[in-house]
Amino acid sequence: MIEEPYRWVEAIANRREYIEGQLAPGSPIAALGYREGILFVTLGQTRQKLFEIYDRIAMGAIGHPGDIERLRMAAIELASTEGFTRSAADVSLRRLAHYSLSPVMKTAFEQVYGPPYLARMLFAEVGVHPEDDLFLRVEYDGEIASNGATYARARQDFAVLSGTRQSVELMETFLKSEHKPDASFETAVNSALDAWSVGHMLLQASETNELPARDAITQHRQEQLAIAAIEAAVLERDGSRPIRYRSLADKELRSIITQ
Amino acid sequence: MDRLQLGFDQNVSGAEDDFPSLLRRKGLLGPIAFGPMTQTATQQQTWQSTEATTILAFKFTGGVLVAGDRRATAGNTVVYDRADKVLEIDRHSIMAIAGVPATAWEMARVLEHSLEYFRRTQLQEMTVDGKVRALSKLLRDNFGFVMQGIGVVVPIFATYDGNSKPEARLYFYDAMGAQFEATDYAATGSGSPAVRGILYYENTWGAKPLHNLSEQEAVSLALRALDTAAESDTATAGVDRSGKVYPVIKIVSREGITTLPEGKIATVFKEMVA
Repeated sequence: MIEEPYRWVEAIANRREYIEGQLAPGSPIAALGYREGILFVTLGQTRQKLFEIYDRIAMGAIGHPGDIERLRMAAIELASTEGFTRSAADVSLRRLAHYSLSPVMKTAFEQVYGPPYLARMLFAEVGVHPEDDLFLRVEYDGEIASNGATYARARQDFAVLSGTRQSVELMETFLKSEHKPDASFETAVNSALDAWSVGHMLLQASETNELPARDAITQHRQEQLAIAAIEAAVLERDGSRPIRYRSLADKELRSIITQ
Repeated sequence: MDRLQLGFDQNVSGAEDDFPSLLRRKGLLGPIAFGPMTQTATQQQTWQSTEATTILAFKFTGGVLVAGDRRATAGNTVVYDRADKVLEIDRHSIMAIAGVPATAWEMARVLEHSLEYFRRTQLQEMTVDGKVRALSKLLRDNFGFVMQGIGVVVPIFATYDGNSKPEARLYFYDAMGAQFEATDYAATGSGSPAVRGILYYENTWGAKPLHNLSEQEAVSLALRALDTAAESDTATAGVDRSGKVYPVIKIVSREGITTLPEGKIATVFKEMVA
């Protein structure tokens, strides 16, 4: 069956539809570059979704926990051995994603007799200056989207991950107008939570394609904060310590949230 | 179908092995050496300890102080007078080394990366017992080289246990990897017999036991001890009298590791030692 090209394309299309369906309910993740670093924020109740990969690299992921674990382990393994044999400064997110993760995920996706990775990941690498920050979104088929400038849009100082494409697009639209790269930590936390709410609202009511009203976003955010825990982490820009990743406790953040 | 050329093996889970075995699997770390190379090697040369340096550590009011002189030697030649043998492994752990520098530094590097790798993959900090054991295993894996007469390392490990019972912990090892927890002090290297004598004397009959010393008293005792060791041991630099090179002194406490600035050591040295 697979020998015929048309069948192969059909099989891939089916597989894509299946994976998109599996990933659709995933809680959004927002990563924002701010003055002192990069902030990752999401809301959830059960599973950890934000992880440290290496000194300057962090990852957020949605999907099947088994697949996320395998990819996370592989990323840590690659970064750690590179950092050990060369130096920590030689570990780069660009190489990690483009040369190692993406080809493997593409191969797994297109080998229709084998299992694909049910995971969508958001990586960030903190730079010396905000303009050096790198954000990469790696899809289950190995596709990579970066925050770099393209013909269609300017460079972005943030990146988002969500269950559906519409949700991602609206979160990006929201952050494009709300977020500034020189934002303070407090401002970034609040923008990230608002962006999460925008993304989450869209996952629940997917028929709309417009940005919700300000009041609706605030209300949704309050409702969700009352029932779910905040999961957040930062990659600090300050170079005095080699390890920049720090996870933030829910308690630390509650006090700086504006109502 | 041919095996796919993958960047990593899909079937291997990082949870299964520790960092040294991961490095070995990828061919990035030398194999474990088993015993002497030839039979004649054991018969003709007896193993000689070559850990030419002095490292000392003791507990005081502010945590654990670890001090090391800075001389590196090859035979009776001084190779380097600014070697740093007191190495930070993580935010709360120090490994101080006496022995062959190439092996010792590599071992410290493997240990440092092992602890990071464990924390990142397992999403929890390794316990103090686990860290102590990890170093023990590295020494054990290296023992074949020790028997071959190349690569003896005898470290001291100082750390702060923030978990079970918050307190500073101090361990010393032998070349085979046996670990001993020190209650008050530990010393290693060729100058250690003199240092051990001083620390025992101070702890037992001194003005106050070591664990009651203030930071200033602790630093001055460390400098005096290193200076005494250097008096008879040519492989220990002690304190350079011309005042240019001071020993490395680090303190492990609840807050983490502090490296004493040279200026501060110089002041204590001028007031209390010189």
